[in-house]
Amino acid sequence: MSRASGIWAHSSSVAAPTVDGPLLRVRELDVSYAGTLQALRRVSLDVPKGAVVAVLGSNGAGKSTLLRAISGTLPFERGRIDHGSIELEGRRLDGQDPAAIVRSGVVHVPEGRQIFEHLTVEENLRAGGLSTSRRSRGSARDRVFDLFPILRERARQRAGLLSGGEQQMLAIGRALMAEPTVLLLDEPSLGLAPRMVERIGEVIAEIHRQGTAVVLVEQNAALALDLADEAYVLEVGRVALHGPAAKLAGTDEVRERYLGGGSPATSERELSGPRRRHVAQAELVVDALSVRFGGVAALSEVSFKVDPGSVHALIGPNGAGKSTCLNVLTGIYRAAAGSARYGDAELTSLRPHRIAGLGISRTFQNLALSPTATVAENMLLGRHRLSRAGFITAGLRTPAARREQADQERRVREVAELLDLVEVLHRPVAALPYGVRKRVELARALCAEPSLLLLDEPVAGMTSDESTRLAAIVSRIQAELGISILLIEHDMTFVMGIADQVTVLDFGRCIAGGSPHQVQRDPEVIRAYLGSPNRGAQP
Amino acid sequence: MSHFLTLVVNGLSLGCIDALIALGFVIVFKAARVVNFAYGSLLLMGAYVVGRTHESLGFLTAVLLGVTLTAVMAVLIGAVLLRRVRLADPGTLAIVTLGVDIMLATDLTRRIGTDLLTTGDPWGAAVVTIGGIHVPQTRVAASIVAVALVAAFLIVVRFTDWGIALRASAERPTTAALMGIRLSRVSAGAWVLAGALAAIAGLFFTAFPSPGVSGAVGQIALGVAVPAAVLGGLDSTTGALVGGLAVGMTVTLTAGYQDQLAFLGRGFGSVAPYVVMLLVLLVRPAGLFGSKEMTRV
Repeated sequence: MSRASGIWAHSSSVAAPTVDGPLLRVRELDVSYAGTLQALRRVSLDVPKGAVVAVLGSNGAGKSTLLRAISGTLPFERGRIDHGSIELEGRRLDGQDPAAIVRSGVVHVPEGRQIFEHLTVEENLRAGGLSTSRRSRGSARDRVFDLFPILRERARQRAGLLSGGEQQMLAIGRALMAEPTVLLLDEPSLGLAPRMVERIGEVIAEIHRQGTAVVLVEQNAALALDLADEAYVLEVGRVALHGPAAKLAGTDEVRERYLGGGSPATSERELSGPRRRHVAQAELVVDALSVRFGGVAALSEVSFKVDPGSVHALIGPNGAGKSTCLNVLTGIYRAAAGSARYGDAELTSLRPHRIAGLGISRTFQNLALSPTATVAENMLLGRHRLSRAGFITAGLRTPAARREQADQERRVREVAELLDLVEVLHRPVAALPYGVRKRVELARALCAEPSLLLLDEPVAGMTSDESTRLAAIVSRIQAELGISILLIEHDMTFVMGIADQVTVLDFGRCIAGGSPHQVQRDPEVIRAYLGSPNRGAQP
Repeated sequence: MSHFLTLVVNGLSLGCIDALIALGFVIVFKAARVVNFAYGSLLLMGAYVVGRTHESLGFLTAVLLGVTLTAVMAVLIGAVLLRRVRLADPGTLAIVTLGVDIMLATDLTRRIGTDLLTTGDPWGAAVVTIGGIHVPQTRVAASIVAVALVAAFLIVVRFTDWGIALRASAERPTTAALMGIRLSRVSAGAWVLAGALAAIAGLFFTAFPSPGVSGAVGQIALGVAVPAAVLGGLDSTTGALVGGLAVGMTVTLTAGYQDQLAFLGRGFGSVAPYVVMLLVLLVRPAGLFGSKEMTRV
């Protein structure tokens, strides 16, 4: 579809002479954060005119970074482009500030909606149109209202009062106010109910039909592959696969990436047989647990059981409710109904520090480490609940306090050995690569001597080497300490390699459960991850 | 009773000036995330320019000049700081403004020397008496000007493009930039407004019944701006208005009843705003109207 005829085409259409080839061209892009963490390596990507291009990949693969690089917002996150170029119809975009990039027709809808909650719906839309001429704004707004009638009804309401789906519509509508030729969408389906995800899908198809090119970053591969013409799969900052979306959806490689293949870890695991030394500990029984945010059901009647000393994985696409589940178990969110019992304790009625006191310890998806403290200091923090010396005895350095200090340090060293962290014990956390920091987070949780360890996406953002290594470490922890582990993870290969039992969540419900192999073959699970198999025709 | 009423009316009128002071402080924080400790000196500068020039230029022209020069100075400070705003953390920026404050205040104190500068305003020392309540005319003028300026400000923030851009970038700077909003322009506008407000507030702050323009005015004004802004909630303009009124009222009442409050020591009035601020923060750590910090886990 030609650019001029598109309804969403840029109003001041005096762009460069028609260049054949892609509208947006990314070449050999390297991006790093804070001068150390390399997030993208030699990424190249083409967006043809009016096409939908999907960018897939697990957490930390560099998808959002790619969009930030295109929209010029890397500096806000202390990131920068080290190499490569980004061109829109032959004009360089890299090096320009975000406002200039918006004015050239590339608009980015960031992850998590990021609407202006204190502004009304109408003001949000107005904010989106500030870069365009006053005259064109009225008609742009009418088009947004036609696309999202609900926003017209809610025009005068404060945006913070909208539901998640309406907020996502507002975020897209707000971006359309700038009349983009290329729309960058970051995880538009994240955390939305199924019907809303469908609706967002229709909207993206409609925007596409009206002639705007879309770059769609999604973890919901089913939705993305359904909408896209072309797809790229990123893996730890590199383009791992690329091709027509329909073709990619059918390949074993994509299937494997999202569902895990018969990796060596799996077969090893099967051979290893009974090997664990049981420590006296309790069973975690989650029964009909429900959580609601406002009117949205984040979890509905989820039940599963973690046997003592086993590794239990909770998997599912983004927004399935995995993190919510963990947050309920650690007392951060309140359950609306149902129970979660650990031994004799009812977790849903306890405060977070009491739950930690029961021997339940967790890691966080977005690292929650003190960046300036050393690895050892961060790990000592984890031992807080086990130290008796108070402010005064520690300050006076009484013999008992000093003995305790020595004990603590010895234990920290043991945990560090278990996790291969001895060499970095006295380095500040900020100086370490991401993969190592994730291990420090795990080490801190272990320092609390848990009997139940909760891991929130332990390998997200790790290289495949690091991930393999971590799988070995988790198995080692479990074998040596005999503790129960409940982990949530996107990386199916990792999960299949180490889990005894798997529970699959989708849109807040349990859709399957059982051994890794049973789950892997479950048609429901395949559908949740990759969409229904008899799809294929492009919209 | 009439003593009490007089204090209340005077407290409210002083509160109007304090609200102007706090508003300028809050706008810069809202738009640029800078705690602007140079604000006291900016206010002193405005008062100084008016005090120096009103005899030769006439009062109104002097005020215009004071407002213009102070606004220009504010933008200079803002622009110098803003070059680094994305890199430096808020603490560093605040310390830079402290440095600017010391330089500016020292220079102005040197310029004032031993002169006794007055603002030369047309109201002089006249006092209005209504129903037994005495209010200086300057305070009546200050209240009217303050109400008019605040109303104009609120209208601008509510309805203009710049106002939308200000609120959007205050709430989510990165997202505002993604909408094509030029953050540097938004914050430059905020600095201009802050400078202009500082100059006008400085004028009324040093007019009768205050003794005149002296080097200490900047520090005293900052001592008003900080508790007013913080108790209102550093990033809320409504908070600044309420905070300013609360501080003006507190200062006037504690001064008016200082004989009864003698057990707290002489000069309790000057620390009373901080006591109120601490009490408010104990109950509402983000201030009365401030936005709470939230993180997702």
